[in-house]
Amino acid sequence: MNKKKDNHWMLLAPIYLFTILFVALPILYMFLLSFLSRAQVWGVDFTFTLDNYKKILEPLYLDTFVQSLKLALVSTVLVALIGYPYGFFMARMNDRWKKRMMLLIMIPFWTSGLIRLYGWIIVFRSNGVLDKILQGMGLTEEPLKLLYSYPAVVVGMIYVLLPFMILSVYSSAEKLDDTLVEAARDLGASPFKAFWTVSFKLTLPGLLSGVVLSFIPSMGLFFIADILGGNKIVLVGSVIQEQVTKGRNQPFAAALSAVLMILTSLMIRLYRKITGTAKLENIV
Amino acid sequence: MKTKKWPFVYVGVITAITYIPILLTVVYSFNESKISSVWGGFSLKWYVELFRDRDIGEALANSLILAVSSCILAVVIGTTGALGMHRKKSRINDGVAYLSMLPIMIPEIILGMVFLSVFSFMGLPFGMVTLVIAHTTFCIPYIYSMVKARLAGMDPALEEAALDLGASPVRVFFDVTLPLILPAILSGCVLAFAMSFDDVVISIFVTGPTVNTLPVKIYTKMKTGVTPEINALATVMLAATIFILFVAHLLGRRKS
Amino acid sequence: MKKLFTLILALSLTAGILTGCGNADTKKESGLSGELNLYTWDGMFPQEILRGFEEETGVRINYSNFSYDEEMLAKLEETKGGDYDFVIADDYILELVIKEGLAQKLDTAKLETYDNLNPVYMSQFYDPDNGYTIPYGAGIPLIVYDPALTDVEITGYADLWNPALKDNVAITANYRVINGITLKTMGESFNTEDLDTIKAAGDKLIELAPNIRVIEDNNTQDLLISGEVAAAFLYTSQVSTALQARDDLKVVYPEEGLGFGIMAGFIPSDAPNAEAAYAFIDYINRPENAAKCFEYIGYYCTNKAAEAFLSEESKRMIVLPEGASEGEIIQNVSQEAEDLHAQIWNRFKAACD
Repeated sequence: MNKKKDNHWMLLAPIYLFTILFVALPILYMFLLSFLSRAQVWGVDFTFTLDNYKKILEPLYLDTFVQSLKLALVSTVLVALIGYPYGFFMARMNDRWKKRMMLLIMIPFWTSGLIRLYGWIIVFRSNGVLDKILQGMGLTEEPLKLLYSYPAVVVGMIYVLLPFMILSVYSSAEKLDDTLVEAARDLGASPFKAFWTVSFKLTLPGLLSGVVLSFIPSMGLFFIADILGGNKIVLVGSVIQEQVTKGRNQPFAAALSAVLMILTSLMIRLYRKITGTAKLENIV
Repeated sequence: MKTKKWPFVYVGVITAITYIPILLTVVYSFNESKISSVWGGFSLKWYVELFRDRDIGEALANSLILAVSSCILAVVIGTTGALGMHRKKSRINDGVAYLSMLPIMIPEIILGMVFLSVFSFMGLPFGMVTLVIAHTTFCIPYIYSMVKARLAGMDPALEEAALDLGASPVRVFFDVTLPLILPAILSGCVLAFAMSFDDVVISIFVTGPTVNTLPVKIYTKMKTGVTPEINALATVMLAATIFILFVAHLLGRRKS
Repeated sequence: MKKLFTLILALSLTAGILTGCGNADTKKESGLSGELNLYTWDGMFPQEILRGFEEETGVRINYSNFSYDEEMLAKLEETKGGDYDFVIADDYILELVIKEGLAQKLDTAKLETYDNLNPVYMSQFYDPDNGYTIPYGAGIPLIVYDPALTDVEITGYADLWNPALKDNVAITANYRVINGITLKTMGESFNTEDLDTIKAAGDKLIELAPNIRVIEDNNTQDLLISGEVAAAFLYTSQVSTALQARDDLKVVYPEEGLGFGIMAGFIPSDAPNAEAAYAFIDYINRPENAAKCFEYIGYYCTNKAAEAFLSEESKRMIVLPEGASEGEIIQNVSQEAEDLHAQIWNRFKAACD
C-alpha cells in the first residue's frame, strides 16, 4: 500500500509543478494588473484602483458580455445537437472506419484556421457558391446577402467547435458495451428507451466534456465574428484586443479578462448543477 | 448487430460539409488572380512563389516541432495528472485541476501579455522554450479533460484485479490502463495539436527573434493582405498529409 | 494512430534537419557576418531583396513578425530594446518607442544611401530631427467606389453618409481612422483633444451605421471587386490592388482633407547586430532595390531616387501626387480622448449590427 501512495505523488507532481509555475503565477499577475492603473505612455502605474471594474459596469461593456454569452450558448447547443450523433455513430463503426474518420477529422487541422474561414467567405458571398446553388435550384433570384450576417457567424462557430464535441463524445462512446444495450432490449425496452437509459447515460460524461470544451473557447472566438460577421457584433474578446492594442489600456483589458474567466467558470458550474453531474465527478 | 445505413449517411454528409471550405482553398490556390473573388484562370505561379520563400518553410518546421513537443509534454502532464486525481480525490487536487483549465478560459491576448511579463521576470530566453511552455499550458486541458471523462466511466475492478494477480503497477498501467485511455489521449492530442498549430496571438508575444511560426506568418500579412500563396501552402500541406497517411496505411498493411 | 504520431514526429524532425541545413552559413567576404533580426509585419519585403542581402553580405536574416504595433512595443519593453536589430512600424507607435528610449540614435554618416530618401516623408512629429528613423512606405486611405452599383457621386467622406448607400459600404477597422474621418466631415482635426467635439463626432458616426456592411482591415478590396459593396474606404495597398483588378472603379481623394500615415524603421537601443542593420538599411535604399520593395508592398515610395526605377504603372499608383502630402497624420492623443474614441467605436459597431 505504501508503494501505491508514493505512486500518487509521482503522478501528481508534474501537473502540480507545471500548473503552479506556469498557470497560477501568470494568472495572479493578471489579477494584479486588473487593479492597477495605466501609465501615461505605455505599461502600468503601480497604484491600486477599482476603476477598471467600475468601468465594466457601464452598459456599453455589459452588453458585450451579453452578446458573447448569447453567441456562445447558441453555438454550443447547435454543436451538441450536430456533434453528439456524429461522435456516437463514429464510435459504433468498425475499427477501420474509426481510423478513417479520425483521420478525416484531423486532416483539416493541417491547414490554417484563418484560411478555412476564408473558404466560407467564398461560399457565402454575393454571387458566391451558395448563391449560385440556390439560384440554380430556382429558390432565389437575387443574390442574397448571406455574408456578414448572424447566421454566417453561427455557421463559422459550429464549424470551428464541432471537432471538440465529436471527439469528446467519441472517446466516451467508444467504450460503450453493446451487450448492455442488447440486454436492455431483451428485457423489453423500446429502442429509444434502451438508448436513453443505457447508451445516453453512459456517454453523458463525453457529452458534458464536449459541451464544456466547446463552450469555453466559444467565449473567446471573436475573430470568427470579425471575419464572417464583418466586425459588427461586439464581443468581449474584440474589446479586450482593442484595449491591449489601440487603447493601450492593459489594466482594463486584464479586468475584462478576469470577469470573462470568472463568468465562464460560473457558467460551467451552473451547467453541471443543472445536469446533475455531481456523481460523475468533476470531469473538467 | 445489423448495420444501418443512415448513421453512415449522416456522418458522411456532415464530414462533406466540413470539407467544402478546404476544397475551395485548394481550387483557389490555382487561381492566376491575386484577388480571391476573381477567377483569373489556372496557374501554378503561387506554388513557385511558395517554394522560393524560405521563411515559410522554416516557419512550418518550427510550427511542427512546437506542436509535437507541446502535445507530448501535455500528454505526459495531462495523463499522469488525470490518473493521479482520479485515484485520489481531494480539495487541493480539484483546485489544481481547475487552475490547469484556466488558460483556455482567458482571452489569448491577455494570456500572451502576462506570459511575456512572467517569462521575462523568470529570465527565460524568448524562443522555442517559451513557446513550448506557453503552448503546453493550453494543450493540457484538452488531454486532461478527455482522459478524465474516459476514466470516469471505467471499471476500477480491472486495475485492481491485475494488481491482485501480482502485476507491478507499471505493468498494470501499460497493459491495462493505457490501452483503455488511449482513444481519449489521441482525441485530446488531435485538439491540442490543432490549437497549437493555429495559435497566433500567444505565439507573437512569447516567441523570440529567431523563431517564427507559420500561423504568425499567415496572420501578420495584415498590412499587405492574405495572398493566394497561403492557399497554395495549405494545399501542399494537405497533399503531404494525405500522402504520408497513405504510405503509412500501406506499410501498416504489409506488416500485419 | 500510433503510427500516425510517429510519422508526424519523424516528419517534424526531418523538417528540423532540413532547416538545420539551411542554417549552414553562406559566408562571403564582407566585414559582416552573423545575423540580422528583422521585426515587422509579414510581406514587407520581396524574397528577392531578403535573399539578395544575405548573398551579398553573408548575414542571415531572421524575419519575425507582429500583427499590431503594440505587440512590438510590449516585446521591446520586456527585452529592453534588445533581441531585435531592425524594426519597421507605424508613425504613432514610433513616437512612443522614441519617448521610452527604446530606439538608438542613428549615425547617418554610416549610411551611403541616406540622401536617396524623400524629405517629404521625414521630419515628422514622431522624429522631428530625423535622429532615429528611416521612412519605409507611406499610405493615404482613400474612398473607392463602383459607379455601376450606385448613382451617388462620391467626392468626400460625407458622401458615405448618403442614405442611398444603405448596407453598401465597407470601412477599415481602425477606430482612430474612422472616427478621424467623421471629425473631418465636421471640419475638425483628426487629433482634436476637445472631448465635446469627439463626442459630437461619435453621434454623427452612429448615423453612418445603417450604411455599413463590413468593418474589415484585411482584403477589403475583394469586396469591391466582387461587388459585395458599392463603396469602400481602403488602405493604400488595397486601393492599388482594387484599381489593378478593375479599372472601372473610381478613386476619390476626399475633399475634406486626406489622412496620411508613414511607416518607418529604427534600430532598437540594445540591438545585438546594429552594424548589420545599417548594412540592411543601405541595401534596401539603393534606388533599384527600393523600387522593387515599393512595387511589392504597394505603399507610397519614400525613396526619391527609386522613382526613376519604377514602372510607369506603379508610378501612377505609388508616387504621391503633388500636394497630397498636405494630409494630416493621426497622432497620439490624451488618455481621455483615446478612451472616448474607443468607447464611440464600440457603440458604433453595436449600432451596425
